[in-house]
Amino acid sequence: MLLTLDLNDPRPLHEQVAGAIRRAIGDGSYAAGDRLPPARDLADALGINANTVLRALRELRDEGLLEFRRGRGVSVAGVPTGRALIVQRARDLLEEAKKYGYSRDDLIDVLKELP
Amino acid sequence: MNRALTAAGIWGLIVTAVLVSVPLALRDRLPDPLATHWSGAGPDNHMSFTQNLLFTVAMALVALAIMVGVALHGKAFERRLSRAYWWGFLVGWGLFVIGMELSIVYSNLDVSDWTRARPLGWGVAATMAVAAAGGVLAGYLLRGAPDQAPEPGEAPPRLRLKAGQRSVWVSRVSNAWLAALAVVSGVGALVLGVSTALGLMEGAASGLLGVSVILLVAGLLTSSATVRITQDGVAMGFGPLGWPVRRIRLSKIESAWSEVRHPSQVGGWGLRGVPGMAAIMLRGGDCLVLRYHSGGQLVVSIDDAARGAALLNALLAERVGR
Repeated sequence: MLLTLDLNDPRPLHEQVAGAIRRAIGDGSYAAGDRLPPARDLADALGINANTVLRALRELRDEGLLEFRRGRGVSVAGVPTGRALIVQRARDLLEEAKKYGYSRDDLIDVLKELP
Repeated sequence: MNRALTAAGIWGLIVTAVLVSVPLALRDRLPDPLATHWSGAGPDNHMSFTQNLLFTVAMALVALAIMVGVALHGKAFERRLSRAYWWGFLVGWGLFVIGMELSIVYSNLDVSDWTRARPLGWGVAATMAVAAAGGVLAGYLLRGAPDQAPEPGEAPPRLRLKAGQRSVWVSRVSNAWLAALAVVSGVGALVLGVSTALGLMEGAASGLLGVSVILLVAGLLTSSATVRITQDGVAMGFGPLGWPVRRIRLSKIESAWSEVRHPSQVGGWGLRGVPGMAAIMLRGGDCLVLRYHSGGQLVVSIDDAARGAALLNALLAERVGR
């Protein structure tokens, strides 16, 4: 699982970690049913607290992207993983739009104008 | 490989010829049944002349059939190390069976009855030594050309790293069979340990206890592994607890790539090889290969190895660029 964090990103760390995991699942490195590496290993590699990673994993579980199972750890749920990537890209786009003063509705208008 | 199969056939014929002709030539001077097993006190088991002959020939031919099967399976000859293992075992095992047969014949020679057979003595040690030496020599001589390095023109995969970003790669691999081995030997160790403590067993059982504890530890350590690649280098954790950890600094690594490797190419499952050409082989398939500046290699069977190699190469390039 390839995870990338932007060191200048002002968003809370757990949101960034959730985003990185969404991207990793979305780009096809994990299929439905695959087990994720242990949260402790992810935290260790990223140099952050394990609780931050766990919080990100719980958010993704609530989104329906991940499944927690006793004894089997955390695995990718049976949702289409492409959607996870689109959701993440949309989030990033919204963030970017806000930076330049565009609202959510402005962004929707931009999307509608696209062919 | 055809050369290997021809050689295996000829070697099988030679071994069988020796195993059949030597006892037959000396049949008049041998008792029937023959002493075939010894304990500290002297011979303690016997077989008829024919049974012993068939048994030794079967020992040689079954092993030969397995080796031919391994060769036909195809992957065993792709790597130098597995070629060395193949030839070494083929020759070593043949010599071992011949040595065993000769020791039995020598001990039974000119005795009136199997109970009077001479002790094996140095025959066992000589058989082991000759078989091991023959195997090592055959493996060394017939290991063939060194493994091909990746094609020089081919650029290793590399990821684009942006300034102000931190990229890490984490992956894990597990083998349910090795985990099951650990569980079974754990239960075995517990049963043997309790029985020994209660005085129900002694002697041989305590020896088995040691073996099952070793199997438990080996099984646990190789049941799963995680690999982390960060700007600090590569860290590999073994076992369900991710401990012990082996760390490799970036400065020691020259490049990385992913490759499909199989346990038959590195000599089996688990931690294999010697430093410089080691393998951490938990399952066949996608492997991460690290090449050191010293020229050595480390192979780790791990999922998603291509992305890990790409990140590692990017981190290495960044290091050089700085």
